[in-house]
Amino acid sequence: METNKTNNYGASFKRSPIFYIVTRIVVLFFIIIIIFPLLYTLSLSVRSPETVYSARYFLIPYEFSFANYIDAFVNAEQKLKVSFPRMFLNSAVVTSLSVTLIISMSIFAAFAFSHLRFPLKESLYNVMIASVAMPAQVLLIPLFYILIYLGIINTYQAVILAYAGFLIPIGILILRMFYEQIPYELTEAGTVDGASDFQLLMRVLLPLAKPAIATCVILLFLDTWNEFIYAMIFMQDPTIHTVPVGLAKIGTSRYQVNIGTYSASVMITIIPVMIIFAVFQRWFIAGMTMGALKH
Amino acid sequence: MIYKTFHFRTLLYLLPAVFIFLTFNVIPGLTSLVLSFFDFTGFETNLFRNFVGIDNFIKIYEDKYFWIALKNTFLFVFGAVFIQTGIALILSIFIFFGNFKFSVLVRSIIFFPCVLAPVSVGLVWKKILEQDGVLNSILGLDYSWLSSVSLVMWLIIMVNTWQWIGYNLVIYYAGLQSMNIELLEASDIDGANWSQKIFSIVIPLLWPTTILNMILNLIGGFRAFDIVYVLTRGGPAHYSEVLASYLYYYSFSAGGPNKMGVGASVAFVIFACILTIAVARIIVSKKLRKEA
Repeated sequence: METNKTNNYGASFKRSPIFYIVTRIVVLFFIIIIIFPLLYTLSLSVRSPETVYSARYFLIPYEFSFANYIDAFVNAEQKLKVSFPRMFLNSAVVTSLSVTLIISMSIFAAFAFSHLRFPLKESLYNVMIASVAMPAQVLLIPLFYILIYLGIINTYQAVILAYAGFLIPIGILILRMFYEQIPYELTEAGTVDGASDFQLLMRVLLPLAKPAIATCVILLFLDTWNEFIYAMIFMQDPTIHTVPVGLAKIGTSRYQVNIGTYSASVMITIIPVMIIFAVFQRWFIAGMTMGALKH
Repeated sequence: MIYKTFHFRTLLYLLPAVFIFLTFNVIPGLTSLVLSFFDFTGFETNLFRNFVGIDNFIKIYEDKYFWIALKNTFLFVFGAVFIQTGIALILSIFIFFGNFKFSVLVRSIIFFPCVLAPVSVGLVWKKILEQDGVLNSILGLDYSWLSSVSLVMWLIIMVNTWQWIGYNLVIYYAGLQSMNIELLEASDIDGANWSQKIFSIVIPLLWPTTILNMILNLIGGFRAFDIVYVLTRGGPAHYSEVLASYLYYYSFSAGGPNKMGVGASVAFVIFACILTIAVARIIVSKKLRKEA
């Protein structure tokens, strides 16, 4: 995906000193705009409580301290009744189970869409495409009552099933597109050899579909890990709050937390994502680019 | 197709996914439309007891804050579709043709906010924009940015752009990488300068990617809720409310009116907006295909 070849497109781009200088200034400006808020929050979070309102060049603390991080952990546990490790555990359970559920069902359903015949196929598919454009909030009120009726409100299952219903079309769309790109000769050769449809899916299509599944995992991981409104409304019991819900409570609560604790809490949610992103950045960028093309 | 006809075994592949999709997506979606004609609160067991016709719609029609929320939603969508896409277009061209040594790193940095939770992003910016925040220290001002009725929506748009610009950027970059460069080479021979190339060759060639980015941002724009919720909670006095947060306020917010029927009618409006756009898109693309 990432080719770092120096491009020779258009010699006049290279020759123009104005273009050279303008691009440097503009891109540098944007990099600063992107990095500064994150560095600033990091800076706030590692200042000692006495020096929290001042720093050299707005960023470099006069006195370093990790006290804010300890405060952030204590504050979450005492005021929210849910610790940060517990929030991360909740998010991990919800995310991993939803992603697994969605992908395992999509693998089979997408196969039916791409290689099998059934009535109303394209109508159903169009409904799925249309539902991808619908905002999640449209489903909020009826889902709330359905989950109450099923007796699973305030449990992990509530959010997992809501995510599954909402995100399954994305999995099916991507996998169907991918299955259909696999050369027809391959599946035909399989049928001639007497393979059943199930064997075709498991032995021929799935091994080839690994990149598409990786794309799905990335997209669904981001969608479910960062999701806020369903998690907030369907799991109001504090002990099962996910990371965004717990953080939003800390950040917008009426009893103000001090700025250092606030920033440390935000950084606790950002740093793990930053590490994962640093390791898998190519996958993230490639996955989200591929995912965008489904529209 | 493996088979020429329908086999019952096909249902085994299909049913789990379709069952979940129908139960937790299609049925609630349709129920939401029906519920907008009923009056009920969060504590009721029989939602369909109190039919009120179009009372809920009259209620939001007469509520000045609904119109503010509608206007804000369109403003937000406008910002995402035109401003955000426009900046991403220029930025991607600059990075692609600028021959940067670290172009992968540059893209990764600008992309990074996309993987963060909007909640985290909103809280990062909230402290920056507060009255004793760093923006005022840098500018030497003492302004309460998020309490400004005229500015607050633009600030929310700015924060949203900050988060998602990298997404449009990498999509544009993929478009640039697959661009046909023969025209550029030909224009070199004709002696075109860089601005002529950008405006007469690169941007027209990127048009399909621009459309894709605009559609993605349009859909994303109607979804906006998290950033509004953590930055302002719709304030000051509902002046930064968008449709989604207005729905939340009416139906779920502690201390709100707890009128779920009204919330459902707001969902109806969102549904209608998206549907109108989807239909318009199909008509336009059909027309374009006919002309081509």
